[in-house]
Amino acid sequence: MSKNKKIFFQILLVFAVLGFLGILINNLIINLTRTGIGFNFNWLTKPASFSLAEHPLPYSPSDSYAWALFMGWMNSLKVIISSLVLATCFGTLIGFLRVGKNSFFRVITAGYITVIRQTPLLIQLMCWYFVGFLGIRNNSFLNISNLLNISNKGIELFGLNLSSEFSALLFGLSIFSSAFIAEVIRGGIQSVPIGQWEAFRSLGISEKQGFIKIIIPQALPAFIPGLTSQYLNLAKNSTLAIAIGYADIYAINDTIINQTGRAVECFIILIFSFLILNLLITKVMGIIDKSIMKSRI
Amino acid sequence: MNNINPNLNTNSFIKIKKFLLSKSKYNFCNFIFFVISISLIFNFLTWIFINSNWKVVTSNLNLYAFGSFPPDQQWRPTLWFFSLLSITFITVYGPKWNWLRKNLIFGWIGTVPLGIYLLNGGLGLNPVMTRHWGGLTLTILITSCSILFSLPIGILLALCRRSSIFLIQKLSSFYIDVMRAVPLIAVLFFGQLLIPLFLPVGLEIDRVWRAIIAFTFFVSAYIAEDIRGGLQSISNNQIEAAKSLGLNKHQINIFILIPQALRVALPAITNQLIGLFQNTSLMSILGLMELLGVSRSILANPEFIGQYIEVYIWLASVYWLFCTIMAFVSKKLEQKLTINKGY
Repeated sequence: MSKNKKIFFQILLVFAVLGFLGILINNLIINLTRTGIGFNFNWLTKPASFSLAEHPLPYSPSDSYAWALFMGWMNSLKVIISSLVLATCFGTLIGFLRVGKNSFFRVITAGYITVIRQTPLLIQLMCWYFVGFLGIRNNSFLNISNLLNISNKGIELFGLNLSSEFSALLFGLSIFSSAFIAEVIRGGIQSVPIGQWEAFRSLGISEKQGFIKIIIPQALPAFIPGLTSQYLNLAKNSTLAIAIGYADIYAINDTIINQTGRAVECFIILIFSFLILNLLITKVMGIIDKSIMKSRI
Repeated sequence: MNNINPNLNTNSFIKIKKFLLSKSKYNFCNFIFFVISISLIFNFLTWIFINSNWKVVTSNLNLYAFGSFPPDQQWRPTLWFFSLLSITFITVYGPKWNWLRKNLIFGWIGTVPLGIYLLNGGLGLNPVMTRHWGGLTLTILITSCSILFSLPIGILLALCRRSSIFLIQKLSSFYIDVMRAVPLIAVLFFGQLLIPLFLPVGLEIDRVWRAIIAFTFFVSAYIAEDIRGGLQSISNNQIEAAKSLGLNKHQINIFILIPQALRVALPAITNQLIGLFQNTSLMSILGLMELLGVSRSILANPEFIGQYIEVYIWLASVYWLFCTIMAFVSKKLEQKLTINKGY
């Protein structure tokens, strides 16, 4: 295509896109005025008048909608970060066992990965919540002298109280993501050429030493892109919290829409909260990636 | 009994001890894990076959399969299931006739309109409202429609993202990046609550179709990225060869790039398909009666209250079975489509 033709085509495209958006926005305005809702963000400062079971900072129903949304965002962040750590530890362990020499563990982990990956997360979450926590009939399932207490009200660990909703979400997300992370770890380790294994063995380095000092450092750069996308998936999957009643950012948006009917504004807020979350994760992973690259040189 | 060598017992004990600890210290650990897992599996099996009550599944099989589809019309979704099953069978084990292989893709595409016709009715069949669609039928319908619509859109987006025209490239990149940053439930929620607001007054789209549109929006962005990966894997020699043969840009795209990119991206697209199939369960949160939605309404029935474990195990195995079948078919297809094996 010649240059003039390209410019002409782009101008045409701009008009087409603007025209299409214009029609959509026009429809939206007509529909909003017809239902009498309108479009503004003034309601954010009004009192939310619903209570939250969990809030990391002080919150009461007389606080504003904006504060409630922020609490939801904090709740999301809390569950994302904790399950991210748990899933990484668990997934790494399973990934190592999956490529290890022990055939018994190889079979067990392969089974674990297929079962977890081939069933929907939503069903796993509901299973953890309704069967795992609410299914505990007697007062406590496991009680180790004030250190750990698992009951249908949640988990109490060293005086730290985790609600049953949070714990179910934490377990469900971590176990679901760990299966995917294990595959990333396996791929990373298998990307190290077999010659490296043979080389350290021929140098008389023990398996354990060689694995930690030779193989892992070379596999690390291959882990990072896969892990980043798994972490982003984990963050997105955390919105399924609504199915078990954990007050994350999506659940609070949903409550507000049911209360005020402001679907468009809430949707915009939701998208921006997620863009910020994603940016946060990609930035942190970028810093980790850079530091790994630096340490290699 | 008396003439047994008294040393035998200690001997065998030492032998067992040696067996456990000889090769490495891990062997003993192994043994303990083995015993624990065997006992767990044993407990699980006794629970499944003896202690559990499968009435919640067996008496509701019709609901799981068809939702509240009118009983006298249930042969229609059944017929559709059989057509899907037979075309899958032909794809995997069918004869290697050339004309069959070439037209199989049209058979696959044809199953979607066939399913819509059979479910929706009209043209000689009794029309059935979409609110009666449900169960596995609805899950499969949403999955197949969404994947069929999102494949061409995904290919188009991938080509646009590699386009030399600045604006087209930026627009499709923007769309893909935003869609991949947003959680699926938000997109589905957009489909259910916001699509009606963007339509002119009087025009309404049905709930099921809004769900399919939302899934298409979401999945097409992911498929576009997979196909872009496939496009990037094609060496430049191919394009140069095509140019030297005198093909123009569109011909290169259609005959050279897209078929090869699709073949490379097939495993990734299958993963998207499996993910989509599992994610249709999210529609139960938004009030559609698909497989999980039906189960939730069954669990709300006082007769079956509290039988969560049975229902979830049943659901998990249904989803697992279908996902495994899809993965298996895709693997077979991959083997059939691979050329240049000795490359």
